[in-house]
Amino acid sequence: MDLSEYYGRRVLIDQPEWRRAKPAPPIEVLPTMTRHGQMIRCLRCGQETACRVAALPNDEFYCPRCINLGRVATLNKFYHVPEPNQFTVTSPVLTWTGQLSPLQEEAATTVDAGMTAHRHQLLWAVTGAGKTEMMFRGIAHALARGERLAVASPRVDVCLELYPRLQAAFQNTSLVLLHGRQELPYHYAQLTVCTTHQLLRFYHAFDNLIIDEVDAFPFAANDALLFASRQAVKKAGGCLYLTATPGPALLRQVRRGHLAVSYLPLRYHGHLLPRIHLHLAPGWRRGLQRGHLPASLLSQLRRSLDNGYRFLLFVPHVADLAVVGPILQTALPRHPFTTVHAADPDRLTKVQGMRDGKYDFLVTTTILERGVTFPEIDVFVLGADEPVFSSSALVQIAGRAGRSLSRPTGTVGFWIAGQCRRVRSAVRQVNFMNRKGRALKR
Amino acid sequence: MNCLLCNARLPVRLNLGDLLMLRPLERPVICEQCRAGFDRINPDHACPGCGRPQEHPHLCCECEQWQHQYGWHLNHQALYTYNDAMKEYMQRYKFLGDYRLRQVFTVELQQRIRQLQADLVVPIPVTTTTMATRGFNQVLGLIGDATVAPLLRHRAVDKTAQSHKSRRQRLQTPQPFILSDSAVVHGKRILLVDDIYTTGRTLYHAAILFKKAQCSEIVSLSVAR
Repeated sequence: MDLSEYYGRRVLIDQPEWRRAKPAPPIEVLPTMTRHGQMIRCLRCGQETACRVAALPNDEFYCPRCINLGRVATLNKFYHVPEPNQFTVTSPVLTWTGQLSPLQEEAATTVDAGMTAHRHQLLWAVTGAGKTEMMFRGIAHALARGERLAVASPRVDVCLELYPRLQAAFQNTSLVLLHGRQELPYHYAQLTVCTTHQLLRFYHAFDNLIIDEVDAFPFAANDALLFASRQAVKKAGGCLYLTATPGPALLRQVRRGHLAVSYLPLRYHGHLLPRIHLHLAPGWRRGLQRGHLPASLLSQLRRSLDNGYRFLLFVPHVADLAVVGPILQTALPRHPFTTVHAADPDRLTKVQGMRDGKYDFLVTTTILERGVTFPEIDVFVLGADEPVFSSSALVQIAGRAGRSLSRPTGTVGFWIAGQCRRVRSAVRQVNFMNRKGRALKR
Repeated sequence: MNCLLCNARLPVRLNLGDLLMLRPLERPVICEQCRAGFDRINPDHACPGCGRPQEHPHLCCECEQWQHQYGWHLNHQALYTYNDAMKEYMQRYKFLGDYRLRQVFTVELQQRIRQLQADLVVPIPVTTTTMATRGFNQVLGLIGDATVAPLLRHRAVDKTAQSHKSRRQRLQTPQPFILSDSAVVHGKRILLVDDIYTTGRTLYHAAILFKKAQCSEIVSLSVAR
């Protein structure tokens, strides 16, 4: 194996191999697990498991938690070489020539300064603010300093979307893309784009780590993820979290002063986020069973269509699609539409159809909450108070509206059976950013 | 407790018997949906030689060939067909090494072992290299706490795993096993247990050694076929 594959990583080595010969320096041999009484801790993912569950025969143990990355067991050792930062920097580092708006400019400067000082910082930017472009300058300066960087996200689709954009922006830099379904082998590169799970393979590798859409995961900012990001970064390294909807764990860190925060409350076109309108519809689910939607929802849908705007209608469950679909078919007979959900085999073609204007609206579950942009749409959620919609998902859903310059506003309506904490928190987050945005515009 | 395969929550259903009887609870380890993915073989509609599912009760053509080659054939039974769900299971259990998954078939396997009423239950061994990397013998794991007689050993030669070979290469594999104690075998009814029956090569190699040691009868059993 090429020595560079060990740089800043912990590579799992099977027992026969590490017993055969002691590796030559600079390769270090590290243990994989530690035992504390009845618990065993995996040193890759940091999680503890009861010995009873994690036992192999002959008093050996393995970690069932991160097994999908390849099994860590007491039979294995890690081979590790401390990160040497062996990169040649070819200028110009930044090959992106786009323009930032004055607001983006300001945020980019803050990000750059934070990355230079290796600070731990949070960039709280509204949906559709153009976060990716704002990182470019910070990344470029760090790369020019010869630093090793990673851009990670909990979601594969975010990584897949980021990789080509970063590749185009840093054409003279070596990049690597890592995720669970990746078939290409690993190679040493200055800029790594990967899922947050893949960070577990690294050990004190990065001078700066950027995590995009930190809260995209259902287990937002969970312990494993925090552990992964902490141990992938060098001891003196910096970390930048990007999000439109910071979860409670991040906000707690901000309050305690562990995390510096900067805001970008306006979208790239300089407009505020569309306000969320709440509509009480107690018993909408019973009504649905009898075959009708809330009257206020239907009239709102008609109004949007009459004004010539298309819309997305979110429902809580896949099963609801089969009920809502036929109702809308009879209620709005002249408008072509379709329903789509995560396991739908035609998911991509249907979404593309919406982009191409084949449909007047889509009825969908939470899958379209992030990363999808349709111009000039309205957004409605039926049953926004159901537990499948987390407050961050609701903010993201609301953020689908008003993303284009041609129609920077839009109508966002939530139909709820009753008030609940998640909905209130989503409304509060949008209002909070709008307040900040209004102060800026003044 | 969650399903070992899909991590869905398993509902706890207790009946009065469970509460009143002083016996350990038998709780399922996988959910009904995952269970339904496995395709059980009915032993009455299977080849008597290799246990493959078929309508007629005669030897299938592969077993005819073994019969032709050795003058005898195995009496093999398998619990399940080797379908996609089983492939995925074996991938995770054996090759990824998730040892918790050994419990999925233990109850059924032990039941069938009891039904077959053998004097000695002999698991097919793994090589020392496999033991050093995987850390367990998948067959012993599947059998659980039933009494076994580990009479077979692998020869010291390092071999490529059967699963990495083509069918023809598998059939040409030379005898990989050594029988450590042939005296105990004499006149006994032997049950050989393996995880998967693919070509039958491994089990035939093992059976030959027991035949030579003059056992009275050989039957064999695997989880998948």
